[in-house]
Amino acid sequence: MFRDVTFGQYYPSNSFVHKMDARVKLLLCILFMVGIFFVTSFVGFLWVTLFLALAIGFSKVPLKSILKSVKGIVVLLVLTALLNVFFTKTGNLLVDWWIFQIYDDGLIYAGKMFLRLVYLVVGSSLLTLTTTPVDLTHGMESLLKPLRIIKFPAHELALIMSLTLSFIPSLIEETDRIIRAQKARGADFDTGGLVQRAKAFVPILIPLLVSGFRRAEELANAMNSRCYEGSTHRTKMRVQKLGWRDAVGISVVVVVFSAIFVVHATKGAWSNLVPWLYF
Amino acid sequence: MDIIQLTNVSHYYKTYDEEGNSSKVVGVENVSLSIKQGQFVALVGHNGCGKSTLAKLLNGLLLPDTGKVEVFGMDTADRSKIFEIRKNVGMVFQNPDNQMVESIVEDDVAFGPENLGIPQAEIVERVQTALQQVGMADFAKRTAHKLSGGQKQRIAIAGALAIRPNVLVLDESTAMLDPLGRKEVLGVAKQLNQSGMTVVLITHFMEEVLDADLVVVMNEGHVAKTGTPMEIFNDEQLLAEVGLQAPRAVQLAKKLHKAGWDVDSNCTDATQLGGKVCQLLRKN
Repeated sequence: MFRDVTFGQYYPSNSFVHKMDARVKLLLCILFMVGIFFVTSFVGFLWVTLFLALAIGFSKVPLKSILKSVKGIVVLLVLTALLNVFFTKTGNLLVDWWIFQIYDDGLIYAGKMFLRLVYLVVGSSLLTLTTTPVDLTHGMESLLKPLRIIKFPAHELALIMSLTLSFIPSLIEETDRIIRAQKARGADFDTGGLVQRAKAFVPILIPLLVSGFRRAEELANAMNSRCYEGSTHRTKMRVQKLGWRDAVGISVVVVVFSAIFVVHATKGAWSNLVPWLYF
Repeated sequence: MDIIQLTNVSHYYKTYDEEGNSSKVVGVENVSLSIKQGQFVALVGHNGCGKSTLAKLLNGLLLPDTGKVEVFGMDTADRSKIFEIRKNVGMVFQNPDNQMVESIVEDDVAFGPENLGIPQAEIVERVQTALQQVGMADFAKRTAHKLSGGQKQRIAIAGALAIRPNVLVLDESTAMLDPLGRKEVLGVAKQLNQSGMTVVLITHFMEEVLDADLVVVMNEGHVAKTGTPMEIFNDEQLLAEVGLQAPRAVQLAKKLHKAGWDVDSNCTDATQLGGKVCQLLRKN
């Protein structure tokens, strides 16, 4: 039943975006997510759309896999859009029927919120689609490294994350094996009420927990045997070097979002001159 | 030269029954053993005989309750020397999945040298050499969990080798593998031994002890006998007592010899034995 579970959604390729440094991609992704909240006009969204189209084009990730991640939040999207449509009470009244009133401002807000959420998901899934989980954790570790001054355990945190990642496949296999073993002894997971089904999972969880502890102990022994002593005087084999791709990526994002920030910051001064910019 | 020296070592485990009363269970009791530089030592015994406990005593994962374990003259009970000891005694365990720290092969092999604080350029070189030693150089960038059991275990050996130990302890590292995987791992162990590495192989497959210099038979926490493989195989009373059997080829050779065939009763090689039998059959 767990055969087809794959962890993460990495899409292997050799593209421009794939070859960028994980740290840079992480930072740019954060910048993107913050920046998208400063976009308040449809012209701004056009900018962002162009930027995303460019990024997706250079990542060689098929649009289908990106839309797949948008599918995950469809319910949220519909809900926020509906709330915006029905609860905004400013602007011109368009529809007045029974208890529902729809104003034109509501439609505009709903449209912008919809775009914002979709672009948030598209932007962040572009990061996970083009970066392996391993690279992501290594990137996170080196970004968090300066926090060691305030005793933040960056290395330990990254190690915990990468251990979790590398144990997921074997734990899935183990769960599968236990389920089959319990089924072979006549366990029934598919019939009965909710409570009964939940109870049926106890004989899976307990062996899984026990074996989890056993694995943890064996791993601790293996790590001890390989001279692990935390982050003290530890070195790293992977060198993370910034290349020209990172420079290009950073420049593009910075230009796009500087424009957005400038437009946002000067709203009062320019809105009379070029009103279409703020639609 | 004795590089590992165990003197009257005992280690006990505590277990609790359902009422919470603790009782002592023997891990190993009163074991004395010395291992020489360059030796291929095989530790054999059935399940629960204490061989894994003994292995964990060799690099200070467990400490003796009584007695002393010395590695290159350093007492494992001396906590200030523990990293020095573990640098000298590399260890590979039974389940390959439970000793992978990183999911990419080369990252995992690099884990040990990274812990030692070795400069980056040297780590790269060590990882390459270690992977070459186990014949897995082409798999450096692969994801570890997608490899076969034997391959994973060879990666684990490479991980130990990257620390550049003097002794390699294989704690039932072949137990979970299929025959092919066992052959791979054993081949690597033998090859390492030929290039000067001291190897301690812990196993319950008697076929694997054939090439050992020294066989230590364990039973219920005690050393039942030490000797060359042939000395052990010939001691039928001992084997029956500890519940082990000589390899099939050895058993067959002995039986044929007893039945009056002109076969060397000390023959250990199945192919050689087969050839001999064919020869004899053709003659008759």
